[in-house]
Amino acid sequence: MSQINMVQSLNRSLDRLMAADERVIIMGEDVGRDGGVFRVTDNLLNKYGTERVIDTPLNELAIIGMASGMAMYGLKPIAEIQFQDYIFPAFDQIVNNIAKVRYRTGGRFEVPLIIRTPYGGGVRGGLYHSQSGEAYFAHTAGLIVVTPSNPYDASGLLVSAYKSKDPVIFLEPKRLYRAAKSEVPDEQFEVEIGKAAKLKEGDDVSIITYGSMVPVVMSAVEKNQVNADVIDLRTILPMDITAVLQTAKKTGRVVIVHEAPRTLGVGAEISALIAERAIDSLFAPIVRVTGYDIPFPYSHEEFYIPDEKRIMNAINKVLTY
Amino acid sequence: MGDEETLREMAIVGNLSNEQAITAYKTAVLARTLDTKIINAQRQGIIGFHVPAQGQEMIQIATAMLADKEDLIFTYYRDLALYLQRGVPLSLIFDQMLGNSNDFQKGRQMPDHFSFKEFNFSTVQSPVGAHLPLTVGAAYSMRYTKKNGIVITTFGDGATSTSDFHAALTMASVYNLNVLFICENNGWAISLPASKQTKAEIYKKGAAYGIPGKRVDGNDLIGSLSGLQEAFDYVRSGKGPYLVEAVTYRIGPHSTSDDPKKYRVDEITDGSEKDPIKRLENLLLKMGVVDSNFVMTTKAQAKESVDKEMEERMNIPPTDPLSIFDDVYEKPTWIQEEERRDLNVSD
Repeated sequence: MSQINMVQSLNRSLDRLMAADERVIIMGEDVGRDGGVFRVTDNLLNKYGTERVIDTPLNELAIIGMASGMAMYGLKPIAEIQFQDYIFPAFDQIVNNIAKVRYRTGGRFEVPLIIRTPYGGGVRGGLYHSQSGEAYFAHTAGLIVVTPSNPYDASGLLVSAYKSKDPVIFLEPKRLYRAAKSEVPDEQFEVEIGKAAKLKEGDDVSIITYGSMVPVVMSAVEKNQVNADVIDLRTILPMDITAVLQTAKKTGRVVIVHEAPRTLGVGAEISALIAERAIDSLFAPIVRVTGYDIPFPYSHEEFYIPDEKRIMNAINKVLTY
Repeated sequence: MGDEETLREMAIVGNLSNEQAITAYKTAVLARTLDTKIINAQRQGIIGFHVPAQGQEMIQIATAMLADKEDLIFTYYRDLALYLQRGVPLSLIFDQMLGNSNDFQKGRQMPDHFSFKEFNFSTVQSPVGAHLPLTVGAAYSMRYTKKNGIVITTFGDGATSTSDFHAALTMASVYNLNVLFICENNGWAISLPASKQTKAEIYKKGAAYGIPGKRVDGNDLIGSLSGLQEAFDYVRSGKGPYLVEAVTYRIGPHSTSDDPKKYRVDEITDGSEKDPIKRLENLLLKMGVVDSNFVMTTKAQAKESVDKEMEERMNIPPTDPLSIFDDVYEKPTWIQEEERRDLNVSD
């Protein structure tokens, strides 16, 4: 066990995967000599060489397209897109190619590719270093979308993503990269894809959240001694429907918290699933606490990202309904 | 290129035997016959759609002739003759065109979007040029895992305008990968003539990436072979990627969904003066390699085998509707399982 942050956890996990399997190739902008702009791939170039840690030209479409060809023909690429905001030139490759290769070939080809990318605000990154685009990917069958909220899950989910035969969009909440340390095993372990974590047992209200919002939610409920059931989804697609319905039925009051904008966000899907399957158990309307439906602002970003106050307002609203 | 010039070119190739020329001719006739058959089947509602490849047979056949078994080929959706020359049987082509239960792809793709993995082809997708960056990854993988062979990819003139083309050439040159890019410039991207597609000469587009290029006569077997040979040699020797522009001619429409009379009215001909099959036929006749009886028999045999094969393949039942939920993931998630239960096919 080591007390490490998320960057260190990811770095060690990548290192172990590369040591164990020479098919694993890391590629992306500045991932080699620079070790990645957030240092997630630090020192891997020195250890594994330029054939396995590839500093690529500045073209996200090329990175993802090339990586998918590598994955289809025997390698296990882990591609990094420097900021999730920059993934869109590769969106056609992700949606039309990668997500559909298995399907369109009748299962004869697959793309076991991991696309790692930091997302979310809180680092004074403005419009183009702050977006939370998980819903774009979660709308596409054929993709797996995960996001860890702590160093332990980061490492474990990465191993599960590596073992997956399907393409995984691995969203890293950049604000949490160095925010906290936790105990992480020194050897390889897995966090199962499709399984949420129950972070806190409670009876009065359910809070369903993931990624960058998890520490904010936990801090809010602990400080205010809310008797809350807290779910960290960890996997956005396919979502852990059992955990979502179980908590909704248990408390009958649901608050959903995510940093991404509200309209057609992941919270909308969670609300619909609960409304379709557990509406009889509800004592109050489902309330979403989300980023606003505006481009991510450079100034006043602290007002954009849901904070403890907004989360508590929502909790109080459903508790007093 | 006139016939005399063609004969001079033949000396350059040197290694084209009469048997090979006859085989190529037979494949071309079969491809043309198959193409016509599919167009008719589309009109009768038997096959849903088709992207005719008439006029482009020779560059495709030449490509397949020079490719080795271990070479990996990423085709586009207009490469019928290439599959036939590489040995794909008519039966498998019809299975895909019909989307029956024998189709490798389980009826998931529109006609002409093949994936003949057994013949070392990759998978065809509709977005133009989107396969190009994949070729680079595949070539990287082949080099990394020390596999023999090169990667060959075909695409139309329209694809050279896409971001994917730029992405692929960028990566192929930076990593010096063994990818042979073959543009089948048939003059048209649906309704847009090549002159409006780009101001550049396509074979020169590689220069900006440090990739050599060459223009070949894609309407002539011998011109195609001699032109391609240099490109194959270059890529096989590990020097890196190479860009070939094969000038050819799209005799028909873009697909069964458009009418070229609308946009090609001044230009369109029956294509006969550029018809690559006619040219090879005339050459073989002139050189006495075949006689007119052989030509007639070849055409009749092609028609017979195409007719017979389609009739047979039409008897194969369609796929199970519930199979539409398979192969989204390695194992269906609860979402596909639930939706599969929701689909009541008996109603």
